[in-house]
Amino acid sequence: MGTNSGATAGINNKPVGGAAVLGVGVANSAVGGGGGGVLSNSLGVSGGIGGGSGGGLSISGLSGGGGQNANVGGIMAGMGGPGGGGGGNMGSDDGMGGPGGGGGGGGPNNQQATTPQYTIPGILHFIQHEWSRFELERSQWDVDRAELQARIAMLLGERKCLESLKSDLTRRIKMLEYALRQERAKFYRLKYGTDPPQLNELKPSSNDDGGLGSDVATDSEVPYSSVSNTTWRQGRQMLRQYLAEIGYTDNIIDVRSNRVRSILGLNNNADHDGGGGSGIGGIGGGGGIGSGGVGGGGENLSPNINGNESNKRASESEGRHTPAKKVQQSNDAIITDTEAAVMANFEFLGTTEMSDDDEISDDLEMVATDNEDSDVKMAKRPKSGKDMLTEEVDGSLGLGELAQLTVNNESDGAYDANAKDGTGGSAGGAGYRKTWNAKYTLRSHFDGVRSLIFHPEEPVLITASEDNTLKLWNLQKTVQAKKSASLDVEPLYTFRAHTGAVLCLGMSSSGETCYSGGLDGNIECWQLPSPNIDPYDCYDPNVHSGTLEGHTDAVWGLTTMQNNIVSCSADGSVKLWSPYTKEPLLRTYTAAEAEGGPSSVDFVRNEVDHIVVAYNSAHCIIYDTETGKQVIKLEASQEMSGNTGKFINKVVSHPTLPITITAHEDRHIRFWDNTSGTLVHSMVAHLEPVTSLAVDAHGLYLLSGSHDCSIRLWNLDNKTCVQEITAHRKKFDESIFDVAFHATKPYIASAGADGLAKVFV
Amino acid sequence: MKMADGSTILRRNRPGTKSKDFCRWPDEPLEEMDSTLAVQQYIQQMIKRDPSNVELILTMPEAQDEGVWKYEHLRQFCMELNGLAVRLQKQCSPSTCTQMTATDQWIFLCAAHKTPKECPAIDYTRHTLDGAACLLNSNKYFPSRVSIKESSVTKLGSVCRRVYRIFSHAYFHHRRIFDEFEAETYLCHRFTHFVTKYNLMSKENLIVPINEEENAAPGESEA
Repeated sequence: MGTNSGATAGINNKPVGGAAVLGVGVANSAVGGGGGGVLSNSLGVSGGIGGGSGGGLSISGLSGGGGQNANVGGIMAGMGGPGGGGGGNMGSDDGMGGPGGGGGGGGPNNQQATTPQYTIPGILHFIQHEWSRFELERSQWDVDRAELQARIAMLLGERKCLESLKSDLTRRIKMLEYALRQERAKFYRLKYGTDPPQLNELKPSSNDDGGLGSDVATDSEVPYSSVSNTTWRQGRQMLRQYLAEIGYTDNIIDVRSNRVRSILGLNNNADHDGGGGSGIGGIGGGGGIGSGGVGGGGENLSPNINGNESNKRASESEGRHTPAKKVQQSNDAIITDTEAAVMANFEFLGTTEMSDDDEISDDLEMVATDNEDSDVKMAKRPKSGKDMLTEEVDGSLGLGELAQLTVNNESDGAYDANAKDGTGGSAGGAGYRKTWNAKYTLRSHFDGVRSLIFHPEEPVLITASEDNTLKLWNLQKTVQAKKSASLDVEPLYTFRAHTGAVLCLGMSSSGETCYSGGLDGNIECWQLPSPNIDPYDCYDPNVHSGTLEGHTDAVWGLTTMQNNIVSCSADGSVKLWSPYTKEPLLRTYTAAEAEGGPSSVDFVRNEVDHIVVAYNSAHCIIYDTETGKQVIKLEASQEMSGNTGKFINKVVSHPTLPITITAHEDRHIRFWDNTSGTLVHSMVAHLEPVTSLAVDAHGLYLLSGSHDCSIRLWNLDNKTCVQEITAHRKKFDESIFDVAFHATKPYIASAGADGLAKVFV
Repeated sequence: MKMADGSTILRRNRPGTKSKDFCRWPDEPLEEMDSTLAVQQYIQQMIKRDPSNVELILTMPEAQDEGVWKYEHLRQFCMELNGLAVRLQKQCSPSTCTQMTATDQWIFLCAAHKTPKECPAIDYTRHTLDGAACLLNSNKYFPSRVSIKESSVTKLGSVCRRVYRIFSHAYFHHRRIFDEFEAETYLCHRFTHFVTKYNLMSKENLIVPINEEENAAPGESEA
């Protein structure tokens, strides 16, 4: 017995070991209880009680042990059941055996009762009897143990199987996604004749052979899903062998199709039923893992399951939103959305996969010390999540992956919460959403920053200010500001040509050229200096590469599309330019007198040759740039009755959908359908006039800035505010002038009347 | 900000504002400004009202912290000097003005580099303005715009000395530009008054003659 208990650390042996020397009494059963106590606090209590009440009888020690076993196994009902049952049986055996033994050996014992003297044969008989009883019990314990081990092995096998299944599905969906992307890219190419820029960025790893290759997410996310092709194959091979050993191969392979359905909402009990009472025969494989390990496995498993569920819920809710969307939105967006959700799902799965593999053995200890550890773990996990985030940030993500980051983070949170309390649900989810934090402060302007624009690829941006200058900033060239987490950036280059405030900016899609419109009525064209230029280099007059003269008053709006720019001015006109050509001014559009002057302009992004112009009348007009004719007027007479104060400060076009978004003086953001010209949605978005808008490159998020000093990030899907950041101070009654998304990197920025620009990550 | 008739004045330049209406709103009394940028607002308001009334612009309101007052004025000077730099860029090239000179007696070395160097005048101008912008916006020396450390106030003098050279170069080598600019902004005039009033530069360094003799800062005699 002693050898047996030494060989395996499982709790089963402890009481038995205690029982081996049990005749001695209380102290020993207390030892048994203590042994139980090591495993967990609650066990210690029950063991102690058992030992105490049993008055030193071996039986009580055993039943205490059985109780412990039941408790430990209780996490997995199926596991605990047999163990507890075994303990219970033994207890009753003892109860029976005691009298029975008395009967069997009756003669001597009874006689001795009358003559209260122990005889040697009597004692020997008693010891013999006891010995045989213990032998019997031992063999029963062994049987139980083998049974449990078999169960463990089976469950582990099943788990492995599910994991591989899961990853299989993941890859299959990835493949489909990839195919979809390819299709879309093809479509885009056919339609526009160029490679779709965002798609390429989004899928840098899409060269893999049909998705079977190095896997799952885009390469920047690979860290936790970098299980290579061969590893997968090997793993599956091993798993097959393993399962074959147990004899479950057929079962499981049959069950696979069922699992496909149940994988997201896995049911523990069903598994146990399926595995009942089999494979008792000596399974060496599971030997090293005691029942404590099972407990650990169980705990490990349940968060996964719950995590999956919550994930499924997430995707479901995404799915629910999708149909609820406005009819006009095309399939495109729906796909994008579900894609985001699905991607999030997979990233999450990736995470669990890795931790599963690593933690199977670790969990032995983790369970034992769970109570103290869990807090620490909770404290650590979010941090590491953040680290992962920043890593990803560095890895040049597409902006659409903002969505994934957010959702991914959420499911991480759910996972953590579950890992802690094991109660499942997505309780902790909301607190873990990706939040943007101010990281860079761009201070060098003497007066309000009217506009800013990011380079399409580099972490570089340009700001335009009322101090008549533009400045170029490289976010990689920072100065650590003292006593604060934020970094100060020093400008690399100052563009001087305007003789009045610079009001608006545009940048070519290549990021080589930048355009600025000013109060002086000029549009200046600039060749961007290298982002690594020495700030105190010699003056190069070629940086200022031209002036587009034509407007006779302040140029307030400027935006670019391929090689063209469109500008709007307080002189009442909207002009289309093709810079660096002989006749840069292509066309001028003017609206009826009643519309007032234009305040903002944008290209309609999903329709070539259309521009949308916001007028002081609070109407927007979409023009065909070729014919110069008005295509449609966006107005809602009821909503907009009494135009006073409904002035449009900014108009932007949704990058993929036929939707125009306007920022109004009356604190509203309004959404318009370009095809019907009707108001789709209207919401009070800020406490003061909304001044600026930006939509991320994938059309999932909207950023708005307001004179209430805050910027807000909106989920375009359900029009809810995801985050609000107070970013700037007021100068007179103005605060925030502009906001921007980086097209390919996870940066957002705001520009304020206080002369600062801030970049958030 | 409530007017007598009850309507609220919103001092905003909405998109689409004509340039003649830019910042054209009723003055706001300093005591009603609750912004951290009140001093800048006040100074700009005074300049907007009448750029030639240098004396009034430089009259410090009561209970105003002098360090902040000087600091904000210097910011305003540097900002407006951008306008002079833009004009100089068109005429002052490294080939015509190989050095930052003012008359034949002065050659200035550019302090923007690790070791001061003889930059061409246009580079000197740009570097000096860029350097001043960095310094005056430095989180280290000027973390706040409502109170300024005594040690940082001493930095203002050297900034003044350097940016003044832009005036002097323009005056002695690009006189037409200088005169046009001065006629619009009275900037050199104001600057001279400013540095004299707050004793930020020694008088022998003020080499640009100022025509009016109204104050104790007539500038040095004709160069």
